[in-house]
Amino acid sequence: MEEKIITRENINGLCRDIIDSGNVMIAPGQTEYSIVKDISQIALDARAKPTKASYKTFVFPKAEPILYYKRGKNNVQILDPEVEQKQTVIFGAKPCDTNSFGILKHLFNWDYKDEFFNLRENNFIVIGLMCSFSDEYCFCTSVGSSPVSDKGSDIFLIPLDGSTFAARIITEKGKEFVNEYSKYFTDGNSAKSEEITKNVKLPAVAFDSKEVHEWLGKNFEHPKWEGVGDLCLSCAQCAFVCPVCHCFDIVDEDYNYTEGRRMKHWDGCQFGHFTLHASGHNPRDIQGKRYRQRINHKFKYYVDKFGEILCTGCGRCSRGCAVSIDIKEIVSNCKD
Amino acid sequence: MENIYKPYLAEIAEITDETPDTRTFKLKLKDPEIAKTFNFKAGQFAEYSVFGEGESTFCIASSPTRTDFLECSFKVYGKVTQALKRLNEGDTIGFRGPYGNWFPLEDLKGKNVLFIAGGIGLAPVRCVIDNVLDWRNDYKDVTIIYGARSVADLVYKQELAEWKSRQDIKTVLTVDPGGESDGWDGEVGFVPTVVEKIAPKAENTFAVICGPPVMIKFTMPVLKKLGFKDEDIFTTLENRMKCGLGKCGRCNIGNVYVCKDGPVFTYADLKNLPDEM
Repeated sequence: MEEKIITRENINGLCRDIIDSGNVMIAPGQTEYSIVKDISQIALDARAKPTKASYKTFVFPKAEPILYYKRGKNNVQILDPEVEQKQTVIFGAKPCDTNSFGILKHLFNWDYKDEFFNLRENNFIVIGLMCSFSDEYCFCTSVGSSPVSDKGSDIFLIPLDGSTFAARIITEKGKEFVNEYSKYFTDGNSAKSEEITKNVKLPAVAFDSKEVHEWLGKNFEHPKWEGVGDLCLSCAQCAFVCPVCHCFDIVDEDYNYTEGRRMKHWDGCQFGHFTLHASGHNPRDIQGKRYRQRINHKFKYYVDKFGEILCTGCGRCSRGCAVSIDIKEIVSNCKD
Repeated sequence: MENIYKPYLAEIAEITDETPDTRTFKLKLKDPEIAKTFNFKAGQFAEYSVFGEGESTFCIASSPTRTDFLECSFKVYGKVTQALKRLNEGDTIGFRGPYGNWFPLEDLKGKNVLFIAGGIGLAPVRCVIDNVLDWRNDYKDVTIIYGARSVADLVYKQELAEWKSRQDIKTVLTVDPGGESDGWDGEVGFVPTVVEKIAPKAENTFAVICGPPVMIKFTMPVLKKLGFKDEDIFTTLENRMKCGLGKCGRCNIGNVYVCKDGPVFTYADLKNLPDEM
């Protein structure tokens, strides 16, 4: 693997270049990933706590128009929305975020292709950053990832000391990026970064995902679902902060008597109305069934359908839960 | 950019009131190029939209063998169906589809066909009935058992009369006890009871059943008693859907997306799914 070195000073120069050229730059702040206006916003701190939400909104927005309509007498005109095509560089993403697009790609592309997602995703350059944060909610190592995983990164940064980073070139896209901004990179020595990644403290493996998958297949009916369901507030914050939850709704929004837009916006399987039929019948009529769906979708159904766990182990859903439902604990107990 | 969420525009060519709260639209796709190439198979569904109100999911109720129009029937329940009901002939709606799988009618040629439907559940079955009737010589005995709560709740009255008048199909209509009115010459009784009474033979027969869950629940044991095998009983599920494209996450039962892997399933298929219908 090719590795380069970039100094903190050069990162500032590089970021300034990206911003000045009109491209979009996104970086994690203290609480959120946001568009960088000022390079002092870029902390590049491997010890930082994960932001409250992932950056999926930049490829799969909270709400986006999928068409505009204009009603005339006996006719309707439909206009396609424009998807802004700008190179978007995400700088300093944690490994539990970088692999999210790879997981979501399957869903947005099996058979029907969601080009809203694809166009944005194609324009993304993901610059990951090794993670040395870990708290009681982290479990990336239980879902096949790790704080030093470069999966989903085009370039992966490893802090060598306070002022320099090793930049591993992971993909062709990453290589092109480094070539484009070559003046900021110097040749590296991978021995040092190897040693650093080897010494990173890994979150303990909490469960064996294969065993969980098998257990879920046998325990669709189990008292634990209703147990946790009774605790859950059905607020769906867990889905909104999740890097890979992707349920959405399609809703029309009128501007006035003749014009409006059709919106695709985030929804959550924890809401009671999510599966409610017009007749009043609801296949997931109690919260226990909805929580069971959440766990099964992540650790069984998605695995069966697309071969990947629908979870990155970031722990955000648990960290943000108002009633302290801890997914790691629940999944760890999916065993006899 | 190809936009998978963008509907075709369709004109409401004709409106038929089936019951006080169920209506059928005959639709014509507005773009002549699309209208010319559009095709589908019996059992597929679509998303119908009123711009400003949203989209709603129904099966295509007309047969693919009748190509110059599309039909859908809907019962007025929620926001979109109420808005659809306010529209007039000549108005424009959105049509996105066809989606999902279909009844394997080609593979079932040479067999007897038994149709069982209840209430508005006749809409998806009607499409299959008309398809089978248009290919009548390819199938053996055709039996239709259809019931509704009352005479007023029977949908497709015009077709029912036509089917009843045909000698080459056996059509049995029934209404729930108390739902009969003066001059009713059909059966009185719930669908499962009527199926038991008629006792269609199971040998070399495939059954298509659609209706309220309670009807299906009590008809299934009757069919089993008559000797029908799970793989010869077909139904169509109508879970709540939004995208119809296997993305939005609502319609799944276990790892099956009803909108893509269905909506048509055999009972053998359904037995493998978690109990979350």
